[in-house]
Amino acid sequence: MSALWVAQLLVGIPVLAAVVTLALRRTPALAALVATGASLLSVVVAVVGMAVAPVRGENLVLLRQPLRVGAIEMPFELWSGPATAAVAAVVGLVAAAVLVFTRWYLADDDRLAQFAATVSLFTAAMMLVVHARDLVLTLVGWEVMGWCSYLLIGHWSRKESARRAAYKAFLVTRVADIGFVLGVVGLSAGAGSTGLDRVVAFWSHTGGGCVDTVTQTAACVAPPEPWLRSLLLSLLVIGVLGKSAQFPFQDWLPDAMEGPTPASALIHAATMVAAGTVVLAQLFEVLVLADGARWLLGLSTAATMVGAAVLALGQSDLKRLLAWSTVSQVAIMLSALATATAEIGPDPALFHLWSHAIFKSLLFLTIGWLSVVAGSTLARALRGSVAVHQLARVAWLFGLLALAGAPFVVGGLSKEHVISTAYEGAIGAGGPGVIVLAALLVTVVLTAAYATRAWLVVTASVPETESAHDHARMPSAPVLAALALLTVLSVVGGLVLLTGLFDIHGTSLWWMVLTVLLIVIGGGITWLARGNEDPRDSFVRTPRQRALADGGLGFDTAYRRGVAEPVLGLARVVAFLDREVVDGYVRGAAASAGIAGWLTERGHRREAASGGVALVALGLLVAAGTAVLAWR
Amino acid sequence: MLLVPGAVGLWLVTGGRALPASTARTVALVAAGVGGLAAITATVMRPVVDRAWIPDLGVRWHFEVDGVSAPLVVLTAVIGVLVVAHAWVERPWADAPGSGSAATYLGCLLLVVAGAFAAFAARDAVLFFLAFEVVLLPMWVLIGRYGDPHSARARADASARFILYTAVGSTLMLVGILLLVTRAGTADLGELPAAAATLGTGEQALVALLLTIGLAVKVPVFPLHTWLPAAHTTAPTAGSVLLAAVLLKLGTYGLVRLPLANVPDGFSRIAPVLAIAGVIGILWGGLICLVERDLKRLIAFSSVAHMGFVVLGLASGTETGVQAALIGNIAHGVISALLFVIVGGLKHRWGSVDLAVVRPALREVSPRLGFALILGLAAGLGLPGLAGFWGELVALLAAWNPAQHTGILRTCAVIAAVGAALAAAYSLRVARIVWVGERVADDAREAAVAQTPDARSVELGVMALLGAAVVVIGVAPWVVFSVTADAVTALVGGGR
Repeated sequence: MSALWVAQLLVGIPVLAAVVTLALRRTPALAALVATGASLLSVVVAVVGMAVAPVRGENLVLLRQPLRVGAIEMPFELWSGPATAAVAAVVGLVAAAVLVFTRWYLADDDRLAQFAATVSLFTAAMMLVVHARDLVLTLVGWEVMGWCSYLLIGHWSRKESARRAAYKAFLVTRVADIGFVLGVVGLSAGAGSTGLDRVVAFWSHTGGGCVDTVTQTAACVAPPEPWLRSLLLSLLVIGVLGKSAQFPFQDWLPDAMEGPTPASALIHAATMVAAGTVVLAQLFEVLVLADGARWLLGLSTAATMVGAAVLALGQSDLKRLLAWSTVSQVAIMLSALATATAEIGPDPALFHLWSHAIFKSLLFLTIGWLSVVAGSTLARALRGSVAVHQLARVAWLFGLLALAGAPFVVGGLSKEHVISTAYEGAIGAGGPGVIVLAALLVTVVLTAAYATRAWLVVTASVPETESAHDHARMPSAPVLAALALLTVLSVVGGLVLLTGLFDIHGTSLWWMVLTVLLIVIGGGITWLARGNEDPRDSFVRTPRQRALADGGLGFDTAYRRGVAEPVLGLARVVAFLDREVVDGYVRGAAASAGIAGWLTERGHRREAASGGVALVALGLLVAAGTAVLAWR
Repeated sequence: MLLVPGAVGLWLVTGGRALPASTARTVALVAAGVGGLAAITATVMRPVVDRAWIPDLGVRWHFEVDGVSAPLVVLTAVIGVLVVAHAWVERPWADAPGSGSAATYLGCLLLVVAGAFAAFAARDAVLFFLAFEVVLLPMWVLIGRYGDPHSARARADASARFILYTAVGSTLMLVGILLLVTRAGTADLGELPAAAATLGTGEQALVALLLTIGLAVKVPVFPLHTWLPAAHTTAPTAGSVLLAAVLLKLGTYGLVRLPLANVPDGFSRIAPVLAIAGVIGILWGGLICLVERDLKRLIAFSSVAHMGFVVLGLASGTETGVQAALIGNIAHGVISALLFVIVGGLKHRWGSVDLAVVRPALREVSPRLGFALILGLAAGLGLPGLAGFWGELVALLAAWNPAQHTGILRTCAVIAAVGAALAAAYSLRVARIVWVGERVADDAREAAVAQTPDARSVELGVMALLGAAVVVIGVAPWVVFSVTADAVTALVGGGR
């Protein structure tokens, strides 16, 4: 099986699974089983894909007659490379774990089949983005993911909060996608093709050293203007910021916690929010030349990673804490792209995507389990819930260790690489390296602090009377197996570096020592702040502070006041104008025709009596006037 | 060949008026089916009918299907069968007593379809105009006689507005056509581009202006759109579907066929104005959809927005742009047909489609109707994998690299992209109000289901077919692109 076949299968299997699952919606249990089976098959294919992944540098292109739309060429190619294969494998793995978990978690839900079908379609869309070698295919996967996230977040559509969250998530990302679409349009229109290879060749061409292949002759004639490249990449970055919930679009993600927990696991771990990293990694050769876009990305991610980590500290709902931690972690991934130099390449970011997918899905599925036990995701309710099962304790512990970036576990390794990338970027090249590095180091402290807090909350000892955990149903064996597998991977997942799929340079021991120190400081702060009371109050003490933290610093209000209300106001004005002004001309024309008709009718009626005489007189006058004029 | 529906329609309107409804329906369905099959055969075989007709003017009875018109002919064939079949679901002649017989209603539907066939197949400018006009009268009858049974005044207003608006547009177009034909000395669309190339720039611009304004009424382009919401709101469901899927297409098809192909230099002079009007239409329609309360009007305004993308593609004046316009045309045809079938069905069930009235959510009560609605809305907001996406994306691509006026058209592309976000906002607004909602308690379920019975049999079939078309065009756009490609190359290249 060649890598190309793997790519096609990985996109095709989930699409097929989605259709079949939807067709079987009358029998939800069977439908979910089909979806799960297909996802497990995808995992197998993806693992094979990792084995047969082409060696670095080898170019693998599907030759097919490209679709020509006028002057634009659309090759619609899929492609697979080493890092791509690894990312695809982790996407498949997380999707399978999510589906396995869903079968248990939503067993009583009457829309289980629809949910499973949407998850399959979502996975297919992400696989498409990962494997696309064509910007239009990327855009297709990108938008389909947005739509699936709308359906998944709004799955419990009988709840007003879920409906609102779904609407908000889709709108915020769609507004940011204005930039993404324009970026794609501008890049492909410039290159005359939507194929990634030609786009990259055209836009990364800096003027010197013409390459004599047929596709690049255009680039030789006119090297693209740097400002246009920066502008287009910045537009693309805006779209990525929206989808990845980065500042200033960050507020949709915590609200998206209204969706069922498996959906959150999927959205956060391996698909939607991470997709931006994949897209920018594909365009890395252009991005590295576009300084404006790199500054935009760097500043936004630096602000986001610190801000989100601070908010995570203050959440009273552990699921929202995880959501903010996702925002912060995705900022870390993207910052690696903003700071990496051309020699380092995009792989540190992709490696962090890989490790984040593993530990974040583990954390989400574990909290899904615990919330079934505790009946809520509020920190207050979850106190001590980890006592339900030894696996829950171990899973939560290693998930948090990876999140905090403890050395040698998967999250630690990847974070080290991001930090050293930022350092290289800061000393080596221009761009936002210094700011990002500072933000990264602060974030390490904060991450350790909120991870410690999350640990203290669920392991707090609870008086026996409050504990009603015994009656909750236990997860099925496959769920436990999936959690165990994810836990193991969170510990040893870093071994993927040995396979050489990610092209990553070593990092210095000193960075490791420094981050350990920072993690200890962060954990220590939480430990000290814990005091004697219960740990959920460690950082947020007054109700006002809590409201501010849970509300994400009031960004929701800002969106409403700053965007939604002005647009609606404008819409009312336009509706008024349409009714009274534009249509007014039409009615005016009708009315004037009516008046003219009425006048004519009057004129005709008069004609019988005195009107005739008047007309004759008028005629005489006109004749006389003409005669006088003609005489001269 | 293409005239079966025409002849049967004419007979139904005149001689067969007294036929009972059931017979008339069967006859009409057979006629629509035969006409549709003949049309589809014609798109495959590409026969040519060419006879002298009015030799003094050089007008010929010349029909031929080429790549540009083939998808539209197929669309019309399918829609024709569907609207007649829809008469089993909704019976406008029975809902509004005194409106007229079933046979007249069906005859009018067939006449519209026949006229559209003729217009799409005409290879003669004057013939095109005549076919274009044939469509208007039966449509007027459909709106005025069989429209919304709740308000006679609205019917009169909408039908009068429709006929007067389009008649004014047609007059301008006729002047343009006559000017073009007399100056160029031929009415044959195949020879016109070469013949018209001898015209001076001033004349070209004048002809292009007249033709474009005349056709823009039909498209409709902002600010000539105010007939559309009224007509859509009052027309019976089948009428709305025909309006959206066939009549509006005549406008854009005419724009491709007449000004763009024959007087490209003149057309490119007014292209920036057209592009600006198009994007204003996108924003204008999108914004109104955010606050509009009547669902049918909302869909009509969304049509204005979608046609804005088509016009933007045309205004770019490139091959890519014309391709975008053609696929956008087809896509809008199936999407809005689907939406109007659903919304018309809802109006039929509920009496009105005021969004301010709280009703049980479709997802809870009638899942099939709800699924069709969300599919239509998703396609309307330009979701990839569904039909609407390709027209919008390629139109933006074309506007980014236009033939002329790069600055203006790029600005227009940016604004149009903003309009696409508005489409998401209003589509999901509708979804949030109509599709999703609170759980319906078990004791109230029966009443709710009685109020909104789910789609079945013919209605379900119509929706399924349209939904399938939306998905097929979305997943495999080359179905349309490959058919139109060569003809578009000839068309855009021919005039230069």
